Amino acid sequence: MIVVLKFAAVFLISASIGILYRIPRSLLVYASIVGMAAWGITALTKEYGGGLIMANFFGSVIVGLAAETLARYLKKPAAIFIIPGFIPLVPGGEAYTTMLYMVEGRYVEGVSMFMRTVLTAGAIAFGIFISSTIYRLFINYITESKLHNVGKN
Amino acid sequence: MKILLEEIMELAILSGEVLLKNGAETYRVEETMAHVAKACGAAKVESFVIPTGVFLTVNDDSGRSITTMRRVKNRTINLDRIAKVNELSRRLVDRRIDRKDAYGILKHIARERTGFSLAPSMIAAGFVGGGTAVLQNAGVYETLGAFAAAASVRYLAHIVSRLHGVQFTFEFLGGMVAALVGVILHDMLPAIGRDAVIIGGIMPLVPGVAITNAIRDVIAGDLLSGLSRGLEAALTSVAVAMGVVIVLATHSW
Repeated sequence: MIVVLKFAAVFLISASIGILYRIPRSLLVYASIVGMAAWGITALTKEYGGGLIMANFFGSVIVGLAAETLARYLKKPAAIFIIPGFIPLVPGGEAYTTMLYMVEGRYVEGVSMFMRTVLTAGAIAFGIFISSTIYRLFINYITESKLHNVGKN
Repeated sequence: MKILLEEIMELAILSGEVLLKNGAETYRVEETMAHVAKACGAAKVESFVIPTGVFLTVNDDSGRSITTMRRVKNRTINLDRIAKVNELSRRLVDRRIDRKDAYGILKHIARERTGFSLAPSMIAAGFVGGGTAVLQNAGVYETLGAFAAAASVRYLAHIVSRLHGVQFTFEFLGGMVAALVGVILHDMLPAIGRDAVIIGGIMPLVPGVAITNAIRDVIAGDLLSGLSRGLEAALTSVAVAMGVVIVLATHSW
């Protein structure tokens, strides 16, 4: 039950972020599906004992792959699908807890939570980076082997 | 012949300016300008784009060249316009539209108002905040509080955007407003935890476009733009954090 509620929340977050960033209205559903897929993978990884950083990395790899595929299929900029896709993964709770610890003077816990926040955010960025890069290599490989000459990107 | 080169330049540089103003990646601006100019009959095109300006040189067959630069000051986020300019440049390359029509459409894209008005965007921001609170395992009251906090932040954006303020002022004030809503709700009704409310409230302030463009610029090899956009994302986060911290520190004192 709670999982269904959270999926609905992720759907709403992604669609609303799409509205705030003014993506074309007909693409809001696609953006929400990317967000739900990414969050679902993240939750699944956590469920089976993966760490927070690992889980967010896998989630953002899904964001990158889905966004590049949709961008190619629908001929739209990939950023339209990436931004609503990764916003539900952003470690807002960790960032807030860092601020709270720092204000309360609990610096050791604060620095440790800060590292957790930064590494999670880094994992999200790196996941999108790696999946976009691999996707492009893959596409270039296919076009090259089809054309039998050097692809010009 | 002389007028043609200037017409090409006008169309290409306007498309680049619209893209950069509304938050496109660097390589997309450069490639779109090159595609548009080539589709209109330019022989050689060189472009250079940084997050605050566009440079473009166009050559014609006789070897004449023309160079223009446009400074881009007020950047907004409007992915709809980027998609439309992208579509327009594809149509121009496929020769499904001629130059004069393309220029008219481009002017229309640059001017038209897209997106939702204030009340729907406040509700959308509220859903972002409330949804985040649900993901944090918050209760019903915290979720409603987060909805209110995020909607207030969006209302603040509506006020500040008309004042053309200094960069990062809005993020700082947004963090303060989110924290204030959380703290005040908690003080009035102690049953509402302030944490989930504040987390939801700062969620619409996440610099999504800056993060995405930083990653994609670095992938494309535009290290200068990538670094400056990464710095923009980092400074935005710091500004939000400072806003929240000031309110929290004042509250606990």
